[in-house]
Amino acid sequence: MRVLIEAVGFGIASGAVISLGAVGFTVQFGISNVLNITYGSLMTLAAYLGYLLLQAGLDVWLALALVAAAIGLASVAFNRALLAPLTRRGTGFVGVVIVTVAAAIVLQYCIVAVAGPDTVSYGQQAGSTVRGGDLVFTTSQLIIIGLALALMLALHLLLTRTQLGRAMRATAANRTVARGCGIRTERIIDVTWLISGTLCGAAGVALAISTVSFDFTLGPTFLIYMIAAAVLGGIGQPYGAMIGGLLVGVVSQVAAAYTSPAYQDAWAFLILIVMLLVRPRGLLAAGTASARRLAG
Amino acid sequence: MSGIAYYVVVMLVYLGTDLLAAWGLNLEFGVAGVANFAYIVLVAAGAYFYAVLTLGSPAAQGGYQHYIIGLRLPAAAAIVVAALICGVLGCLIGVTGLKRLRADYQAVVMLVISILATTVVGADTGLFNGDDGLSAIPNPLAAVNPASRGWYYVAVVAAVCLLGYLALRRFTAGPLGRALRAVREDEEAAIAVGKDVVRLRLAVQAVGGVYAGLSGALLAGFIGGWSPSSWQYVETLALLTAIIVGGLGNDAGVLLGTAVVPVLILQGVQFLPQFNSAPELMADLGWIILGLLTIAFVFARPQGLIPERRPRYAARPGAGGPSRRPRRGGRAAAPGPAAAGPAAAVRDASARPGAAVATPPGPDAGRLPAPGGAGGRMPAGAGEPILVISGLTRRYGGVRAVDGAGFTVRSGAITGLIGPNGAGKSTALGLISGFLRPDAGRVIFAGRDVTRLPAHERARLGIVRTFQLPREFRALTAVENLLVAAPRQRGESAGGVAVGRPLWRRQEAQLVERATALLELFGMADKRDERAGTLSGGQKRMLEVLRALMAEPRLLLLDEPMAGLAPVLAERLEAACRELAAGGMAILLVEHELRAVERLCERVVVMAQGKVISEGRMAELRGRKEVQDAYVVG
Repeated sequence: MRVLIEAVGFGIASGAVISLGAVGFTVQFGISNVLNITYGSLMTLAAYLGYLLLQAGLDVWLALALVAAAIGLASVAFNRALLAPLTRRGTGFVGVVIVTVAAAIVLQYCIVAVAGPDTVSYGQQAGSTVRGGDLVFTTSQLIIIGLALALMLALHLLLTRTQLGRAMRATAANRTVARGCGIRTERIIDVTWLISGTLCGAAGVALAISTVSFDFTLGPTFLIYMIAAAVLGGIGQPYGAMIGGLLVGVVSQVAAAYTSPAYQDAWAFLILIVMLLVRPRGLLAAGTASARRLAG
Repeated sequence: MSGIAYYVVVMLVYLGTDLLAAWGLNLEFGVAGVANFAYIVLVAAGAYFYAVLTLGSPAAQGGYQHYIIGLRLPAAAAIVVAALICGVLGCLIGVTGLKRLRADYQAVVMLVISILATTVVGADTGLFNGDDGLSAIPNPLAAVNPASRGWYYVAVVAAVCLLGYLALRRFTAGPLGRALRAVREDEEAAIAVGKDVVRLRLAVQAVGGVYAGLSGALLAGFIGGWSPSSWQYVETLALLTAIIVGGLGNDAGVLLGTAVVPVLILQGVQFLPQFNSAPELMADLGWIILGLLTIAFVFARPQGLIPERRPRYAARPGAGGPSRRPRRGGRAAAPGPAAAGPAAAVRDASARPGAAVATPPGPDAGRLPAPGGAGGRMPAGAGEPILVISGLTRRYGGVRAVDGAGFTVRSGAITGLIGPNGAGKSTALGLISGFLRPDAGRVIFAGRDVTRLPAHERARLGIVRTFQLPREFRALTAVENLLVAAPRQRGESAGGVAVGRPLWRRQEAQLVERATALLELFGMADKRDERAGTLSGGQKRMLEVLRALMAEPRLLLLDEPMAGLAPVLAERLEAACRELAAGGMAILLVEHELRAVERLCERVVVMAQGKVISEGRMAELRGRKEVQDAYVVG
C-alpha cells in the first residue's frame, strides 16, 4: 500500500509537468490542426536554456519564466516560418508530420552539437521535503504543481472570461467564419502560439527541475507522455489535457512501481497506441469536433 | 585491403542494403501511400532474427549474450526465414492502419511503435541482449569465401539488389502498381471501383517487410553486430528523406536518393579524413543536413529529383499488326481516326487480331458497355427490379438521415431520386453502395441480400457509384483512371505478379483500347495521357462517370452528375444515360436539375427528411402537395 501511495505521489508530481506540456500541445493542435512533433525538441531546448541561465547564476524560477517566454516567441516564429506556409500550400497531413519530425531532428542535433551528448543536471533543486501522511513531496515539486494549477486556471479564465479567449476559441473552431466576424485571425493565431509555446517552455524547465539529470533525448520521450495525455483527454480540449496529464502520470508511475522502472516509458507509449487505435476521440471528449478532426 | 578500398567496400554495402530497405519503404509509402514510420523496426527484426538463427544457442556461445531462439541454420536459409518473419511482422504493423485514422495520427502511432520497440528491446536483456545488442554475428559468406568482408560481399549484395529490383517491378509497374497508386490517391474512390483496399495494403506491408528483413540481415551479417543504437526511430526518417529527395514512387529515383542521403550524408561524412577528430560532431551535422533537406524538399519539390513517371500507352494498334502493349516513356502515338460512332468502332475492333479472344469480346470496345460488361454475368431482364431497399435507416447521433426508406430500381430504366437538401439522398446512395452501414433495413441486389457486404464487394457485383464531388485519382493519367476501374484484371492478381507481363499483356491492350474509345466518345481524347488533377472541373466529373462505366456496372448510382457541367457535356451525358438504359443497365440518378430528371427518368422517387414521401412520373409529382411542401419547407 505504501508503494502505491508513493507511486501516486510521484505520479501527481510528474502529472503536473505532463499536464503543462499537454495543454500547450493540445492548444497548438486546436489552432493549427497539426500534430506538432517539434514540440518535444522545443522542450529540450527549454531545458538546456534553463541550464545555461542557471550556470549564469540566475534563480531557477526566474530562469523558468524567462525561458518560457523565449520558447513562446520561438513557437510563434516556428509557426510563421514553417507550419503556416506549409499548410497554405495544401501539404497533406503526412507531409506536415514529416516536416515537423525533420525540424525536431534538426533542433535536437543542433542542441547535441553545441551542448554535447552527455547528461546535464540542474543540481540540487529539490528543496526541503513536505509530508502529508504517506505522501512525500519536495518543495520544488509542490511549486511545480502549484505553477501548473495556476497556469491552467489562468488559461481557463482567459478562454472563458475574456474577449481574447473567445476570439481564440472561435478561430480554433472555424478560422474562415471567425475572420468573417471581424476577428483578426492572424494576430489571434500568433497569440495562441505564444501561449502554447510558453507552456511548452515552462514544462521543459519544470521537467528538468524534477529529474535528476537529462540529455538531448528528453524531448522525444516526454513528447509521447504529452501526446498520450492530450489524446486521452480528447485532442484539442485543454481541460481534457489537464486531466489526461494527471492520469498518464499516475498510471505510468504506478505501473512502473509494480513491474519495473525500466518500463515506465513503455507504459506511456502503450497508453498512447491503445488510445489512438481503440478510442482516438479520448475518454473525455466533448463532442464531434475531435472526431471530425481525426477523420481528416 | 587498403584503407580507401575498404572505405569504398563499406559504402557500397551500405548503399546496397539501404537500397533494399528504401525500395521496400518506397513500395509502402511512395507507391501505396502507407506512411510506415516504424519501418526501421522491420529492418532491425531482419538483423536480429538472422543473428539468432545463425549464432547457435546462447550457452554454446559462452553464455555472455542472452537471446531467444538460438539456432545454427545455414546462412542462406537464415536470411530467407528472417525475411519471411519480417513480412509477417510488416503485416501485423499494417493491421494498425486498418483503423482508418487520419494520416498524421497513423504516422504518430507508427513512430510510437518504433520508439516502444527500441525501449522494450533495449530494456529486456533476454530478448536480443538488451542495450548491448548482439555481436559475433556470423558472416553469411564465411563458409564460401574467406575474403568475405570485401568485394565478394559487395557482389552478393549487388546480386540481391538486382533480383530485388526485378521482383519489385512486378509490384510497382503494371496493373498492380496502378491499383496501388489509385488507393494512395483516393481510397474511397478505389473502393468504389472494386479494389480490396485492405488486402492490397496488407500485401504491400508484407512485401515491404520482406525487403526490410533482407536489408537488415545482410547488413548485420556484414557488420557482425547489431544493437538498439543502430535502429533508433530517426533512421526511418533517413530512409524517408532518401525517397522524398530521390523521387517518391520512382524506383530509379530511390536509387539516387539512397546514394545521396543515407550513404553520402550520413555515412560518408563520418569517413572524411580531415574531420576524423570529431566524428560525433560530423554525425550530428549529417542529421542536421538531412533534416533540412527533408524540409526543403517537402516545401519546394515534394515529387523529388526524379518524379514518378507518367506511363504513356500506345493508341489502338494499327490494322494487321500485333496488339501493342502499353509502353513507358515513349511518345504517345497520334490517336487514330476518331470513332464516328458505335458502328465504326465495332468495325475497327473486329479487324483487330485477337478480337476473337473470349475475354473481353471486341465489340464492346468503343461503345458504351453493356450492363454487367463482358464478364458473362447475365443482366436482369429489362424492367425487372434489380435493386430493392426496404426499411433502410441510418442515424447520426439523434438525427435520422435516412428513416425507413424503401424503393425499387429496375434495370433498363433510369430512376430519379430527388428531394430538398438534407433529404438523405446521398446517405441513401452511401447505404446502397456499401460505404455506410445501415442501422436497420435491407438492401437486396439482383435477388441477393447485400446489406452486410463490404463496399468493394458490391462494386464487384455491379453496384458502382459516383461521388458528389469528383474524386479523380489525381496523379494518374486520365486513361489510367479508367484502366484501374476495370474489374478482374489479371495483372492485379498474385498470378500476375508471379508470371509478369506475359499474363496480362493482351488483356491490358484490350482495356487500353476500350478506355481510349470511351474517352474519345466524350471528347476527352486529347487529355488521355494528362494527369487527372490537371483537368477542368467538368472534365473531372465526366472522367468519374466514365470510370464508373469501365467498372462494368449493372446498377449505376450517379450522384448529381450534371452539377457544374457545361451544357454540351451535359447533353452528351444525358444521351449516354439513355443509351445505357436502353442496353439494359439500371441507373439511379440523384439530381437537383429537375428538368433533366423529367427528360430522363420514367420514375422518380422523392425523399424528404430521410423518408420516401412520393413516387411516380415527374409530371404527376409536380402537382402533389406533399412534394411541393417538401421543397419549400426543406
